[in-house]
Amino acid sequence: MARRLTTNVLLTLFLALLVVFILGPLLWLGIRAFATSWTYPNLLPDGWTLEWWRKVIADNQLSTAVQNSLTFAPLTVIVSAVICLPAAYAFGRHDFAGRKIMLVGIFATNAFPKMGLFVTMASMFYALGLMQTVLGIVIVHVMGTVVFMTWIPAAAFGAVPRSLEEAARDAGASPARVFFRVTLPLALPGILVAMVMSFLASFDEAQGTYLVGYPDYLTMPTQMYSLVLNYPLQMAAVFSILLSIPSVLLLALAHRHIMGGQLAEGFQLR
Amino acid sequence: MRRTRVAARSSGQPRAVLGFVMALPPLLLIAVFAGLPIVLAVGYSLGHTGGLNSVTASYAQHQHVATSGWGTFAAYREMLATGRFRTDVAVTVLVTLLSTAVVLVLALGIALNLRLRGGRVAGAIAALGVIPLFIPVVIASWAILTFYSTDGFIRSVFAQVGLDAPALGFKVVTIVIGSVWTSLPFAVLMVSSGIQSVPDAVIDAARDSGAGLLRTTRSVILPMAFIPIVIATTFTAIGVLGSFTVPYFTGPNSPRMLGVDIQNYFAAYNQPQQAIVIAVTIFVLASGIAVLYIWANFRSANSKDL
Amino acid sequence: MRPTVTHTPSTTTPAGAAFSPPAAADAALVLQGLNKELGGRPIVTDLDLAVARGELVCLLGPSGCGKTTTLRMVAGFLAPDRGAIVVDGKDVTGLPPERRPSAMVFQSYALWPHMTVFKNVAFPLRLKGVGKAQIAERVEAALELVNLTHHMGSRPGRISGGEQQRVALARALVQEPALLLLDEPLSNLDARLRVKVREEIREIQQRLGITTLLVTHDQDEALSVSDRIAVMNDGRIEQVSAPTQLYAEPETEFVATFVGSLNRVSGTFSDGGFVPGPEVTAVRPEDISLHDHPGSATFPVRVDRVVPHGSFIEVVLSGEGQTLRAFRSGTVPVVGSQVHARVERSMAFVDGRRVS
Repeated sequence: MARRLTTNVLLTLFLALLVVFILGPLLWLGIRAFATSWTYPNLLPDGWTLEWWRKVIADNQLSTAVQNSLTFAPLTVIVSAVICLPAAYAFGRHDFAGRKIMLVGIFATNAFPKMGLFVTMASMFYALGLMQTVLGIVIVHVMGTVVFMTWIPAAAFGAVPRSLEEAARDAGASPARVFFRVTLPLALPGILVAMVMSFLASFDEAQGTYLVGYPDYLTMPTQMYSLVLNYPLQMAAVFSILLSIPSVLLLALAHRHIMGGQLAEGFQLR
Repeated sequence: MRRTRVAARSSGQPRAVLGFVMALPPLLLIAVFAGLPIVLAVGYSLGHTGGLNSVTASYAQHQHVATSGWGTFAAYREMLATGRFRTDVAVTVLVTLLSTAVVLVLALGIALNLRLRGGRVAGAIAALGVIPLFIPVVIASWAILTFYSTDGFIRSVFAQVGLDAPALGFKVVTIVIGSVWTSLPFAVLMVSSGIQSVPDAVIDAARDSGAGLLRTTRSVILPMAFIPIVIATTFTAIGVLGSFTVPYFTGPNSPRMLGVDIQNYFAAYNQPQQAIVIAVTIFVLASGIAVLYIWANFRSANSKDL
Repeated sequence: MRPTVTHTPSTTTPAGAAFSPPAAADAALVLQGLNKELGGRPIVTDLDLAVARGELVCLLGPSGCGKTTTLRMVAGFLAPDRGAIVVDGKDVTGLPPERRPSAMVFQSYALWPHMTVFKNVAFPLRLKGVGKAQIAERVEAALELVNLTHHMGSRPGRISGGEQQRVALARALVQEPALLLLDEPLSNLDARLRVKVREEIREIQQRLGITTLLVTHDQDEALSVSDRIAVMNDGRIEQVSAPTQLYAEPETEFVATFVGSLNRVSGTFSDGGFVPGPEVTAVRPEDISLHDHPGSATFPVRVDRVVPHGSFIEVVLSGEGQTLRAFRSGTVPVVGSQVHARVERSMAFVDGRRVS
């Protein structure tokens, strides 16, 4: 009984610390978006205001960045899906020579640091005329989504029981119909998770976008870098909240599947 | 489980060719826009300044040009002779080891608590650990910096009771905190998925055989969740090793992590060759970790018992 | 602690003969007033059971009757809401599973896939701190008992279901438990293997004289291996009897229906034939005899269908406004023909309880 009490106390303490560790920084930053000013060491700001929100919305450069981010992220997801989903289906459903090596190969390049990759990519992009183009930025963004968009759906396709497809074929459905009515719906949670992760990856991408897009195309995270240095703290806080909104919405959408193991499944190569 | 799934894949000759062709596009994309640049980069770091490297080479300062057919290690020698670089490598490795260890301990604790105790609190803890997945790293880094810095929350709280807590902004510790924060979700998802899929009966059988909770964890749960744990470890380590945003925002100017060094050598010093030498260094370190990941995966595929 | 699995052989008892309800004092296992609710629903209610030393008692019942819950309470995986579990005179109700003197064979075998067969069986001994040499000796003896010494180095994933089942049994036996618990041990095996393995289990159990509680929903399995069977329904034990007794003299309508086949009609059979009435009369199909000519207490029936079962024939009859099934061997009656049936033996139930 005493032991159980001790574990419970320890567990509660751990939970409290974890709450502070995970949520603390976010709240501390979030509150700042509504603060007039903040004097150390007070735990609350000196006053409350919505002024910073008005300023961010009025700032042309910042609202352009919002627009750019909201364009590039969906575009990236679509392009990535078109390129990767057929491959994911093949990885999940077919067995062919080199299948496993190809699966690992998709990840292998991730071991090379992104910054280093961008440095060399830059000279190639110059040579190919991709600098300051939408295509160039989309390529950079799609590169960051390939692992998600291939691995996770591949596991999802692979997990669709063959017997269900065979039963549908047996009932007279054509292969295409079987795919769209049986296989795809069953693999959809995995595809959804892959799309959410890809959206977030694109939405989060800063250095590559900066390198390829500057100064014509700046997205929200690239603006964050200059915001932090050149604007009042509160405006960066407002911008942070804005930048987090899509993520939080997606969290609500895909939370169940991500916690349910769709993401984890994808990273165990089978 | 694994065996039936593999068996369910079709492997007829024409379908195999079709599968191969369907699988090509993402690989081609990677080969062209990552594989090729990496090869070029390695070539450039060895002093090959022609071809697609010529644009970069044209503005590079302090560049070592290849004198023989295979190239020169001059750029590597130069970097390795720099005390600053050696310190940064050491710091990078240290931060990687520390962050990975903390992430792993947290993830295992969260996952085991969820598996063995269960209930709403355990579920809430696990959900909490996944939240950072949805916060852009830029914001996370900056939020963490303000939280721990001189006028941050931690110091403010201590000041309320008259204590002077250390300011953690721009310290190596802050990088570790930030890396743990951003890496935790993936590890939690991976490790809890692995540990959740250990069947109840197998755990019951261990307890019935006389194993307490600790022993059951050590002898049954952890070995059975070995692969997901290795995956969580390797991905966390590789991620931290090459990270830029977290150390850029939260870390000190000196020593710096290698990811930030690349950016500095490239953008601030105009020395792309040296930047790439650093990138290749990270790549070599990361490849070592990746081998562990690939070994674990293939080991599991070869012994179909698991 | 004895060095090997060679238990002192107890007096071997023919199935279902020697064991009568033991006095609580000398029973190896006593369950006293066990109660368990799960999710607000009573699963086990006021369950009492005593198992004698060396006896094999079967908990038989349909799925959801509480038999597995009972077994899990005995093993220690579930804590009873009320009641006590006593093994060898010691109250173990409050002990966690790892400190109970019982060993369980799981329905899914629950072998550890990352350990070899040898290591699976050795694990319980290693936990007890048994020396290396002794472990090797005892594991080998246990595997010999189940005829698996040739698979000692294999991983569980590489051997067949029947072999896995035997490894699970060896892992339980090697602990020399005071009580062996078997949770539907045969349900994952195919029909032919099931008969073979259950005979092996019974043979080993009797040879070692090990007190055993077995859970099953399969009446054949229960009837063929048990000393006594406890039939469970809705969280309660309806009857505890030796197999032959259980079949011949079921105490409740549920037991009569669940064990063996049964014709049930509302009314009674008398010398003049069938008389409709309020009470339930139950007749085993083998207790209906068929005759070509009318005799004493026969009544005319029509042969509707004949179903061959190999060793016997099932005849579906209609007469007196009822449908009856009879088992017979020998000549096959002609479908559509008129024959005369006599009920040799019947049981009567009122409100589910046996009255005659």
